[in-house]
Amino acid sequence: MTNPVSRREFLNLLGAYGGTSAVLQAGAALGLMPGASQAADLSLLNMSSKGKKVAILGSGISALTTAWELSKAGYDCTILEASHRAGGRIFTVRSGTVVDEIGNYQRCDWDNEPHMYFNAGAARIPSIHRSVLSYCKELGVELQVFVNESKTNWVQDDAMLGGKPVRNTDYSSSMQGFISEMLAKSLSESEIDSSLTESESETLLGMMRTFGDLDENMLYKGTVRAGYGSGGFLDHGTKKDVIALRDLLETRLAGNVMVTTQEGTGSGPLLMQPVGGMDRIIYGFANRLGDRIKFRSPVTAVMVKDDGVEVAYEQNGESQLLKADYCFNCIPSHLMTGIPNNFPAEYTTALKYIRRGRAYKAAFQAKERFWEKEDIYGGISWINAPIQQIWYPPHGIHLDKGVVLAAYNFGGANFTEMTQEQRIEACLMYGEKIHPNYRQLVEKPITIAWHRMNHMLGCAPRWARNRGGWSQEEEHLYETLRQPVNGRHYMIGDQSTQHSAWMESAIQSAHYALADLDQRVRAETA
Amino acid sequence: MKKLITLTTFMLVAVCNVAAQTVDVGVAAATDDRYCTTCHGVEGRGNIGVQAPRLAGMEGWYLKRQLENFRAGIRGTHAADVQGIAMQAMAVKLSDASIADIVSWVSSWEYIAAESTVDGNARRGRTAFGTCAACHGADAQGNEALGAPALAGQNDWYLITQLKNFRAGYRGAHREDSFGAQMLTMSRTLTDDQAIIDVVSYINTLQK
Repeated sequence: MTNPVSRREFLNLLGAYGGTSAVLQAGAALGLMPGASQAADLSLLNMSSKGKKVAILGSGISALTTAWELSKAGYDCTILEASHRAGGRIFTVRSGTVVDEIGNYQRCDWDNEPHMYFNAGAARIPSIHRSVLSYCKELGVELQVFVNESKTNWVQDDAMLGGKPVRNTDYSSSMQGFISEMLAKSLSESEIDSSLTESESETLLGMMRTFGDLDENMLYKGTVRAGYGSGGFLDHGTKKDVIALRDLLETRLAGNVMVTTQEGTGSGPLLMQPVGGMDRIIYGFANRLGDRIKFRSPVTAVMVKDDGVEVAYEQNGESQLLKADYCFNCIPSHLMTGIPNNFPAEYTTALKYIRRGRAYKAAFQAKERFWEKEDIYGGISWINAPIQQIWYPPHGIHLDKGVVLAAYNFGGANFTEMTQEQRIEACLMYGEKIHPNYRQLVEKPITIAWHRMNHMLGCAPRWARNRGGWSQEEEHLYETLRQPVNGRHYMIGDQSTQHSAWMESAIQSAHYALADLDQRVRAETA
Repeated sequence: MKKLITLTTFMLVAVCNVAAQTVDVGVAAATDDRYCTTCHGVEGRGNIGVQAPRLAGMEGWYLKRQLENFRAGIRGTHAADVQGIAMQAMAVKLSDASIADIVSWVSSWEYIAAESTVDGNARRGRTAFGTCAACHGADAQGNEALGAPALAGQNDWYLITQLKNFRAGYRGAHREDSFGAQMLTMSRTLTDDQAIIDVVSYINTLQK
């Protein structure tokens, strides 16, 4: 290591962010598991004898949840879906799947094997998403562990070490070591020391030594945690060379690499996925709902009346009218604004306010599981390039082929506006920076630009315009949108939540609306 | 015995796969190129949510010309023309037959004037509109002989975006876009954003 960051520089940095007293005061909420959700016990009043009709618009997971729960409670449900498939942004691509992107129609021709799929939308189930897990159990959807973080994966940035990819473990172990070393040094400063008792200092120092694998002088000199430079089994292992801190700091990927695992926000080390693809959950609902789901039936008008909701739609070129007592609507807000309705002005303002998120994914069929030859069996490689991430399937280990996720870009704008050929070339070009023979090893690309997908035109909805959080106006519009119109029409889906992009949020939006409905029908029948 | 177990396992997996997909939601039929309403709203009435303008009431000759311009890359290829780029990606796939089919389909939609969303100074806008009227007509009803489409009844937010695009050279700068070139020149008589809002506010008063 050359030119380490000095203790003084580091302490100044700490001070800039509030210093130790701020650190010591934080943590009042320890003991709570943030974000943990309760699987709802809806206990809806059974309405079998009442003949209540419900129109459900769209067939995302919030809509299917609603249809399933209301059907169990004896409501007569009809689900209107504009496209050829159910599930919305829960979409698994496998042999034969059509990707209905406007202007870029694709049909997947990967090998027809159970493990040859890729989840183009929702892909991970955290252990704290109890509603999702509860439906998986109820619907008999078999789950398996999904590997989100694997330390043998790569980190690549043209700005770091001349663009040479390094193993995640080399990066993260070294970063952990240097952070520990600096914190250990800073503990001798009276400023910090005075804030801690002797016992607390000893505990912290001991932890720092273990955390960073520091030597007896509390210095980081490399660690075998990153694997051995040589030996390790028949012979004694030797440590690898240390990557200098200044080299580690050349990449802004540090944040991604160091905090991939965040149990509370949904990316814990233990995540799950349905065996065979995320759409197994959708099939679980859809098979039970049967012909209650009407495909290729776009909604053309939603009119809320005093005693119900009238929904106009098209089917086989014919106009149809569905008169229902209640309506649950998960049509994306930015599409609902193009459908005639008689919603109150403020409700429409809220619909217009939500912006459609951009996200982009791509995948290849790999002719061989080349990552396994590099000691990788799942997880993410991080790259500072528009593709951002490469994911390797944790399923199908040691089989001949696999499907590799070639890009996952949250912004997605640059990919969306490329032609299919340009998208593919970008995936190959950046992928080659990590896997030298990538271009020869992969084939049959599929790209998913959610901004262009027919009947979707967007990914996770975005409410807050500022990074700082929700404004008062946004909170107000949000509350407006999740109140029913006339007690008859409910907007659902992750657009009606404050934590979009998760299936759990979408399901909870449905539960929230169902609880409101149940309260109303109980009041009426009392 | 081992073989039998393997076979049974295989059959079970096969049965499960079939059972899991009894609802046929995996096959799309792209029988035509009638994607318009996903973006442009029910019966092409426009959708502010995705900034896609009203098509209902648009003249067939103008719609055809624009689709052909998009297809040829004469429109919708400037990096700053965000909505144009989205349209271009679709239009580039269209055959002459698809364009004819779309023009015919759009002509079947009822014209309903778009709602007004801007509140500029229509009186001032009326003065500025004098220049526009020469081609687009005094009532903004359009003039096919001059290649100028109707403006009355169009989404005002769309007119504003297009005027800004013309003025900035995001639209109309392609050397084969002769009508666009005229608009690019004329749009620069509107010297600031307020002038654009004012003239569009006046056009709003002309809805047929």
